[in-house]
Formats: sequence, C-alpha cells, structure tokens
Amino acid sequence: MKKVFQTLALIALACGIGVTAQASTPEQDLQAFQNFFKKRFPSVEMDDYANGAYAIDPAGRENWEAIEEFPPYEPFIDDGKTMWDKPFTNGKTYSDCFPDGPAIAGKYPYWDKEKGMVMTLPLALNQCLEANGEKPLKYKKGPINNILSYIAFESRGQTTNVVIPKDDPRALQAYEDGKKFYYARRGQLNFSCASCHIQNAGMILRTEILSPALGHTTHFPVYRSKWGTVGTLHRRFSGCNQQVRAKAFKAQGEEYRNLEYFLTYMSNGLPLNGPGARK
Amino acid sequence: MHKKLFFLITLLAGILCTGMTTTLLADDASAAKVQKLIDAADAARKEAASVGGEWRDTGKMIDSAKELLGKGDYVAAAKLANEAAKQGHLGYAQAMSQKDLKMPSYLHYE
Repeated sequence: MKKVFQTLALIALACGIGVTAQASTPEQDLQAFQNFFKKRFPSVEMDDYANGAYAIDPAGRENWEAIEEFPPYEPFIDDGKTMWDKPFTNGKTYSDCFPDGPAIAGKYPYWDKEKGMVMTLPLALNQCLEANGEKPLKYKKGPINNILSYIAFESRGQTTNVVIPKDDPRALQAYEDGKKFYYARRGQLNFSCASCHIQNAGMILRTEILSPALGHTTHFPVYRSKWGTVGTLHRRFSGCNQQVRAKAFKAQGEEYRNLEYFLTYMSNGLPLNGPGARK
Repeated sequence: MHKKLFFLITLLAGILCTGMTTTLLADDASAAKVQKLIDAADAARKEAASVGGEWRDTGKMIDSAKELLGKGDYVAAAKLANEAAKQGHLGYAQAMSQKDLKMPSYLHYE
C-alpha cells in the first residue's frame, strides 16, 4: 500500500513538473489570448478591439465618438509635424534617421538583433536625436508625445504585426519576460495586468469599465482626459503599476520594453488607430 | 540664609542637570533604536527591489519615518519603519512567488 502511495505521489509530482515546464509558443499564446476575448465578447468585431473599452461600452462609446468630432489630440499632431520637419542643429531632420517616415509606427516594437534588445519607437526617436547631437526627450510626458502623435496619425490603418524572430533565442526570451511580467501579481493589491484586463475585462471598477487587453497598444500615444494631455504607453504602464500599489519601473527600461513587445504581439492583426482619446 | 539659598539652588541645578542628561541619554538610545528599524526597513525595501517586487509606498514610508525621527517622534517613526519593513518583506516574498510564470486557468490552449 505504501508503495502504491509513493508511486502515485511520484506520478503527481512528475505531472506537476510537466505542467510547470510546459512552454507555449508565441503563436499558441496569441491564439489563446484572442480566443478568450472572442468567447468573452462574442458580438465584438475583432477590429473594434482597437477602440479599447468603447468596443464593449455603448454609453462610453457615444461620449467618445462625440469627443472624436473635435479630437483633443489634434494640436499635438500639428506640433509633432513641426518637430518632424524642423532641422536639427546639424541641418538634418528625423527623415534622415527614418527615411520611410513619418508613417513608421507599424514597424515598432521590433527585436534589434544587433543591439540584443527590444527596440521601441520612442527609444529609436531618442537615438536619432542623440546621434544628431540633440538632447533626448523625456519618455512619459512632454514633446515626445507630439512627435509620437504625428507618427501615429500618419501610420493609421497600418496593421499590428510584431515578429518574434526564430533565429535569435534572445528575442523569444524578451517576449517570455514580457509575458511573465504581464501575468505576475505585484503591488500591495496583489494584481497582475491580466487580473484586470483579461480576467475581469468588461467588469466595472468604481465607475469605469475595465478595458480588454486585446487592442491595448493600438492607439498610443493617447490623450487622457484625466491627464489633460497626451501620454506615452510607458506612462500608462507606470500608472497601472502604481494603481495596484507597486513601484513603477523606468519608462523605456527593459521591463516595460519587453512588456510592450509581448502586449503588442498579442494585438497582432489589429489596425493602428493612434493617437487615441480616452477618459 | 545665603548659604542655605546657595545650597538649594545648587541642589536644584544638580537635579535638573541630572534629569536632562538622563533624558538626553534616553533620547539618544531611542533615536539609535529607531534608526536601526529604519535601516532594517530600507534593507527590506532594497531586497524587494532587487527582484522587482518593491511596493509603491515603501520608500515614502521610510522617508516619513526619517522625518519623524528628526522631529523626535520616536513612537510614530518606529511604527512607520516597522510597517515599511513588513512591506519590504511581503514585496520580496510576492516577487519570489511569481518568479515562475503561471498561466491563468481561464486562458485555454488547444
């Protein structure tokens, strides 16, 4: 009898290890992630997830559509165009760094094999500035949002298409790190990103409807009425972390870049529609 | 008469000085104890931060404890430092418990 128990315990242990060690591919993750929302909100068209909570909140959508008639982010787009066209001190412009620009948002984030890191658009913009002897921009607030708004506006209609290259295991590791960040509980409230935006998407938290994670990256930078200005995706990450009472990580640090890599990949196939307007 | 007065004043001054010295010594001892609590809280915060598990308010609580210590409010400072240390330990334990990826059961893989 003892031997039977020992054998059963061993089998249970082996199964447990099997589950923990079982890895899913990014493609499998994407399928499970998007299928969850298809089942959770069967009447929502896939492309509509690019509109965040307004895809599932009819009353909120009415207000949002009224706001979009006179978009609060428009002045930021105009200022961004001025920035794009204005020569640096050395006479060069952003176009010299981004010859395909300004409609380049769909290319980011991507795995930079040479640098061995996830490259995001704000980081690339600052690298361009520094390479041309200019001062880099702050990553959460301020003028970076102008240039990002302009690029996002010019990139509207492009499709989210993040690639995890198979020829560099570091890229998959960065994706996995971002995934782990997304599902890890943190902060005094012990919430993960997924707790709110997958498990409880569509539920009401105080007066707000929790937006679905699918489509979270399509519309940045975003004008938030709460901020009274346009802010970056990493500013939003930071705010979310603080809301669960975790200490936020550095904008454009490795944690948030990998998180962006994972989260944007999860929205593959959705149209880019930034800059957005949100409450 | 003068002698008596002088004696009394000296006696009073002596008592007062001894009392003050005792109070000062007690204050020094309390301050050192609270400082130790603050140091321990900061060490716990750093340990949590080293694994990405620092909580939002821990650092602020430590700063407030330092301020209270400076003002001589040892009880409040000690209380806050202890609370911050607890947060540091919990933040570390939380991060360690999340070290390995745990996919939620509501996501279904085919």
